[in-house]
Formats: sequence, structure tokens, C-alpha cells
Amino acid sequence: MTSSEHDGLRVDGLTIAFGGNTAVDGLSFAAPRGRITGLIGPNGAGKTTTFNACSGLLRPSAGSVRLFGTDITGRGPAARAQHGLGRTFQRMDLFDSLTVEQNIALGLEARLARSNPLKQLRCPRRDRTSVRAATEAVLELCDLGPHRGDPAGSLSTGQRRLVDLGRVLAGGFDMLLLDEPSSGLDSAETRRFGRIVTRVVADSGCGVLLVEHDMSLVMSICEHLYVLDFGKMIFEGDPADVRASDAVRAAYLGSEAA
Amino acid sequence: MNDLLPFLVVGVTTGSIYGLAAMGLVLTYKTSGIFNFAHGAIAALAAYAFYDLTTLRGLPWPVALLLAAVVLPPVLAVSLERMARGLAGASVTMKIVATVGLQLAITGALMAHYGAAGLPFPTFLPVDTVTVSGVHVGIDQLISASVAAAGAAAFFLFFRLSSLGVRMRAVVDDPDLLELTGTSAFAVRSWAWLIGSWFAAISGILLAPQIGLDALLLTLLVVQAYGAAAVGMFASLPLTYAGGLLIGVLAAFATTIAAGSQALAGLPPAVPFLVLFVVLLVAGRSRLADAGTHRPAPVSAPLLTPRATRGFAVAATVLAAAVPLLAGPRLPVYANALVFLLIFTSLYLLVRISGQVSLAHAALVAVGSATFSHLAVGAGLPWLLAVLLAGAAAVPVGAVVAIPAIRLSGLFLALATFGFGLLLERLLYRSGVMFGATGTLPAARPEHFSSDTAFYYVLLAFAAGGMVLVAAVTRSRLGRLLRAMADSPTSLATLGAGINVTRVTVFCVSAFIAGIAGALHASVSQSATGTPFTAYASLTWLAVLVLFSVARSAAPVLAALFLTVAPAYSSSDTAVDWMPVLFGLGAMLVALHEASARPRTTTGDGTAGASSRARERIGAPSAARERLQAAAGRAGGRAGPDTGRLRVGRPRQQGDTR
Repeated sequence: MTSSEHDGLRVDGLTIAFGGNTAVDGLSFAAPRGRITGLIGPNGAGKTTTFNACSGLLRPSAGSVRLFGTDITGRGPAARAQHGLGRTFQRMDLFDSLTVEQNIALGLEARLARSNPLKQLRCPRRDRTSVRAATEAVLELCDLGPHRGDPAGSLSTGQRRLVDLGRVLAGGFDMLLLDEPSSGLDSAETRRFGRIVTRVVADSGCGVLLVEHDMSLVMSICEHLYVLDFGKMIFEGDPADVRASDAVRAAYLGSEAA
Repeated sequence: MNDLLPFLVVGVTTGSIYGLAAMGLVLTYKTSGIFNFAHGAIAALAAYAFYDLTTLRGLPWPVALLLAAVVLPPVLAVSLERMARGLAGASVTMKIVATVGLQLAITGALMAHYGAAGLPFPTFLPVDTVTVSGVHVGIDQLISASVAAAGAAAFFLFFRLSSLGVRMRAVVDDPDLLELTGTSAFAVRSWAWLIGSWFAAISGILLAPQIGLDALLLTLLVVQAYGAAAVGMFASLPLTYAGGLLIGVLAAFATTIAAGSQALAGLPPAVPFLVLFVVLLVAGRSRLADAGTHRPAPVSAPLLTPRATRGFAVAATVLAAAVPLLAGPRLPVYANALVFLLIFTSLYLLVRISGQVSLAHAALVAVGSATFSHLAVGAGLPWLLAVLLAGAAAVPVGAVVAIPAIRLSGLFLALATFGFGLLLERLLYRSGVMFGATGTLPAARPEHFSSDTAFYYVLLAFAAGGMVLVAAVTRSRLGRLLRAMADSPTSLATLGAGINVTRVTVFCVSAFIAGIAGALHASVSQSATGTPFTAYASLTWLAVLVLFSVARSAAPVLAALFLTVAPAYSSSDTAVDWMPVLFGLGAMLVALHEASARPRTTTGDGTAGASSRARERIGAPSAARERLQAAAGRAGGRAGPDTGRLRVGRPRQQGDTR
């Protein structure tokens, strides 16, 4: 067993079927720490389904999900988060009635509260200090300081993406799953988003698994790519290999280029 | 076996009527996404209209029947459809409150106009009996059962075979798609409301001869229908009808079992709620995805700054402290208001802060009340200790109420808690564990504070303590988790918080306060009784609290004053009688207003929410598939079988091997 197997997220033989429709079929991949790994594929390739299985919102029909060497296939979303797995949502499921600052603080606070009723009831002083420090750091990193007091529901899509990201960054998760973070963003916002993610990985050494449509973002920040189509892995390699691959072009880029 | 046959006949007769009512309920719920708590009120309205036309106005019964059962429902259906349209996109709480408000308004109006006591219902069907294989069967029973069965069967055939039936099923599956084909979903929904109202009206008129003309009883008819609807998983019409029969027969058999047993006397009327509660618990969320879309709560700045709020709180406390000097003989009214302030405070924590609707709140108060009497008078414990222990006794009950909250949310949580509240009321209120056979227990005030004035200050201290506790919880980590959970439980869970623990914890805190309020209620009136703490009271409290929701954290204060003090200052009894109508209509309007204030679409992926109702369909084939879909839908994105559908139109270019 090599050290990389303990290091990050590892999915083996993942199969998810909805009735007779197999959305994901025998998928295996690894997203180690310290690297931005991309998961790409055309609409309906099974990317978000894979994500949901990784974060515990879906039970796979077969296969396993391992995080830092621990089998987490049978655990619920909260248990996975406590083990270091954070995710964002394509729909940006923010706490809309709370402020930006409260949203970000909850990233860490929810993790500290865990499933312990006493810890959920009160916040020890030590926690309060660390939550405040993490929140301030994230507000600065994502440049959300001016909006800290705004209700999250009143923000633009670009700002909401950042709040969604900021929430998992504040949580200090060791493995981040980012679900189509560029959808709804313009190219400048997308580039800024990419810079933030790159910087976080460089600073904290966490792993990132990115599901993305925007090829320029994927090609610029990912070190390793997995390409899905119809729930199956059709290619893997670094961005240059993917760009050169005929299979990928046929399945994905071809339909856009035509 | 032959001993049981007569009960079987009774069970099938009433069960058939429950089934018919439940089918109407399920139909309107599935097509509009609004669960109509006022369904039973429509039944009551039709029965009263029939009574009014025959007994009071002397019309021949066929004419009255035509007017009450055929002509009246379309009038109601139009307004119901209008209300449902106004509620599209509202939060589940508001959808519940709107129809609960309507129910309170109709029932309140009936009781105010015709009196709360039951009236004899005119018998219009022949009451002769025929003997079928040794069992005497009333001809009226035969007719009732066959009318209901024929209505159910005809509707099922219509639903399966007619073009309108097909369109109804299409509305359930995907209203937007149906509109694209040039069919108005509005017209189809109007038909659904019409048929639903007809079924309710007919079942009301058929049931009234058997249970008498009682607005409350007839309104609660709908709860029997809830049980039947639950058996059909709120989706399958044949199963719903079968559920009605099952509940009717079980309740009739329970009557034979309970005969002669004091402990089981409450069992027969509790059967539907038992079925409802158990089915909801066992079925769980996999099959019971909430209908309708969820949109985020409206975002608005608080009305008052924290500083102004503190100022108001101080002023209100000073005013409350001066009440004994000002109120004179009405002081007990204000004492009662303080108890209700505590009740509304605990309900506010649950409903407004955590966004969970509980309709078992009155039962928690009753548990506190009964426990207090047992401990303070029965066991002779010191007053304060007994009050606190009464609060503690309500906590495990609150935790039991919270069990459905782990598996269910929104509407189904409300239904499960309503069922639980009714179960407790019917089974335990009159048992030795609670208020005993007489329904009242002795209770006392603390030794040195037994005068009205002194005890008023004790109550004031408890009320202030309760409000401070809830304010503290709101500001605590739990408060933040609760507000986050109200917005998005899924993302809170993926951030690492155990949201089931959060849900149970808030139910327990709320139950503790409610239990203490129950003890204080017993102490004020110096006797503990369950009479004011019916499931109907739970509905009223919810409506009144929402009515004042514009006042934010002051809502409990206004709700308590309005519910208890306002009637005491009213000069006429008529005004007091009509107050529930005011509560109901007010709550309905507030709900509609809050719904209209919401943004029509959310940012980003708008299809994710809109298609959520398409996930459940009448007679859905696979539970597992729905579960996966529901979970994936909640997680966002276009996962699940929808992918397959969406993929049909996807342009595939060269290299497409499929």
C-alpha cells in the first residue's frame, strides 16, 4: 500500500444506478492532498452524481469511497465532513437569511458542533476565538469584507460562489469538492476564483476535486484530469494529454466545437 | 366471528366515507402541492348547510342535498384554487398555516353561528334494516357505503381513462411541460379542487347522521382522512381508499376490544392517528418527499435595532410589572396571559427560529400540567421543584415528537406531530397517568405567593425567564445552527453538524418551556385539566403566532395578549365567539402575504427546485429510485433519472457510438 492511498480521496469501482439507469458505472479515481484534480465530462456524464456519492448524499449501488485511508462509504454527510471532507454546491445552497459573515463562520462552527448536543448548545471561548480568526482570514482571502453584514440571499451569483467557497475554506477541510464553481460567473470572476483555489491549495496543502464545465479554468488550475462520459471513465491524464486526446474531443469538446 | 360482523358493517360504512374524503384530499394535494387542512371544514360546512336548508328553512331534502353537496362546493373550490395559486412557492410553514387558518375560520364561524354544542342531524335516508346473513344492516348504512364506494370507483376510472384524468396526472408530473402542450394547468387544478370539494361535501353529509352535527368533530373528520391518505403514501388513490376502509374497520373493532376496559376507552377514536403516526414513522422520507418548491426566506432588515429592542423589552417589563395596579378584577386574565406568553415563546423557538412546524404543542403543555399536579399535590414535592420537574417530564415527550422530525420535514412533520398530539389527547388525557377519569386534578400555588398579585409576579418572573432563555438560545451556537438549518439542512450537514441532534435538541428545549407553562397554568387556575390543550388548540396557537409574525420577536407577546386578554375586554359574547374566525382569516392573509413577498425564482439553477414535485407521482413505482432522486435533487444539480430525460435532446456529434 503506497502512501498516496492514505492521502486524500480514493474512489474504487463506484457504481450508482437509478432503477434501470446506471448513471455511474465502475468509476475509480484518486484525488490526493496538495493537488487540484479535475473531473470533467459532458452534461449528464455523472459528475454531480459522483460528487453526491462522495459527500454522502447518495448511497452507491457498489464500490467504495475512502478518505485518508478510512472507508467512509457507509457514513452520512456530517460524519464525512467531520473526517475532513467539505463540498460546495452547484446551486450554492447558502444560508440565505444569515449574513455573509455568519455563513462563513458556520463553516467552522458546524464542524465544531458535530453531533454533540452540548457542543451544539454552547460555544466555548476557545472555539469563538478560532471561529473569528478563520472567518476574518476567509473574508480577506475572498475579498468579501465589504459584504460581511449583507444577507447572503441578497448577493450576486459571483459573490454567492465566493461565500459558498468561503464556508468550506473556513471549515478547514482537508479535502474540498467543488461542484461547478464557475457556472454563472463571468471570465474575470472565474479567473479570480481559480486564483483563490490555487492559493488555498498551495498554502494549506489540502486536496481539491473540481467538477467543472469551463475548460479554461480546468486547464489552467488542474494538475490531473479525469474525463467521464455516460458514467464511465474515458480518459485520465494531465491537461496537455487531455487536450490532445481524440476520445475526449469526440465525447466532449467535439460537440461544443461543432 | 359472527359477533364481529356488525362492527365490520359499521367499519366499512364509515371507512368508505373516510376513503372518499381522503381521495379528495390526496387529489388536491398532488395537483396543487397544498395540503388542505380545511378539507374537513368543507365537509362540516356542507353538513351545516344541509341542516340549515332542511331543518331551519324547511326545504325538501333532495333540494337541500343538491344545494349543499353539488352547488356549494364549486364556490369553495374557486377560492381554494385562488389561495393555492397565491401560495405557490411559499415556505412549507406558510402553506400549512394558510389552510389551518382557513379551517379555523370556517369551524369558528360555524360554531359562532350555530353554537358549539352538537345538533341533531336530520335523517334523510331510510333507517329500516335488512338482514344480510344474520346481520342487521341499516339501509342508510348501505346507501352511504355504496355512494362513497361508487364515487371512489367512478373517480378512479375517470382518473385513469378520461382525458381530463390524464391531464391531472400530467399536472402532478410536470405542470410546466403540460402548459407547453397548450393545456392550462390552472384549469386542471381548478377541476381537482372542485372534485376534492365535492368529495369533502358528500362525505360530510354522509357522516353527519352517524356522528351528529358537531363542527369540531366533522372538521376533525379530515384527520381520519389523513390516516387514510398516509396509508396511500399521499399518492396512490386506490390505496388511499383502502386506507379509509382499514381505518374504519380497525376503529370499529377497537370499539369491541375497548368495551368494558377503562384504560382502552380512548383507543377507538385514536386509531386513525395511530395509523397516521405509525405510517409516517415507518415510511420515512424516502417515499414522502415534500411537494412543492422551496424558496429561500425573504431577506429584510430587522424592524428595530438591537438597542431599540432592548428599550422596548424594558418598557414592556415595567408595564407588565405595573399591571396588578391597573388591571383590578381582571388580574387573573393577565396572569393567564403570562402563561400563554411562555407557551408562545416556546412555540416561537420551534416554528420561527428553527422553521419546524409542530402541531403537538398543546399536548406538551398538558403533560407539564398533569405532571405538576402529580408531583406537587400527589407526591407533596416543593412547588418550585415540581414546576421544574414538570418541565423536565415534557422533555422526553418532546423528544418523541422530534423523532418524526429526524425522518420527515415540513408538511409530513406537521401531520405526524398533529397525529401524535391527537393520540396523546384521546389515549392518555383521561387516563390515570395524566388527568384521570374526571379530567381534572388538584393543583396549588406556592405557599407564600398564593394571592393573585403575589403569584402574578411569580408568573412574570417565569415568563421573563423563558423569554431570556429563548433569546439566549437564539444567540447561541444552537440558534445559528437552527437558522442555518431552516435555510438549508443539506449544506449544514455537509459542513459537519449532526442536524438530527440539532432538531431533537430544539424540540427538547421547547418542550421544557412548554412543560413549565403547563405547570404554571395548573397553578394559576389551581386545578390541572387537559380541556384547553386539545390538538385544536395547537392549530389555533400556530395560526395566532403566525398572525403576529410581522412583530418578529415580539410576536409571542402580542399573540398571548390577543388570545387571552382581548376577549376579556370585549363587551359582547358574539365578538368573542367570532374571534377564532378573525385569527384564522388573519393567519391565512399573513401566509398569503408572505408568499407574495417572496422572489419568484432563485438565483442560479432554477430548474432544480421547480422539478422537485415532478419527482413524486401518483402511484410511483419505485421507492428506492425516488429516494435516490430526492437525495440527489436536494444535493443540487441534475442527477438522477432526470439526467436521462434531459439527455435525450443533447446534441451528440461525431464519435457518438450509441
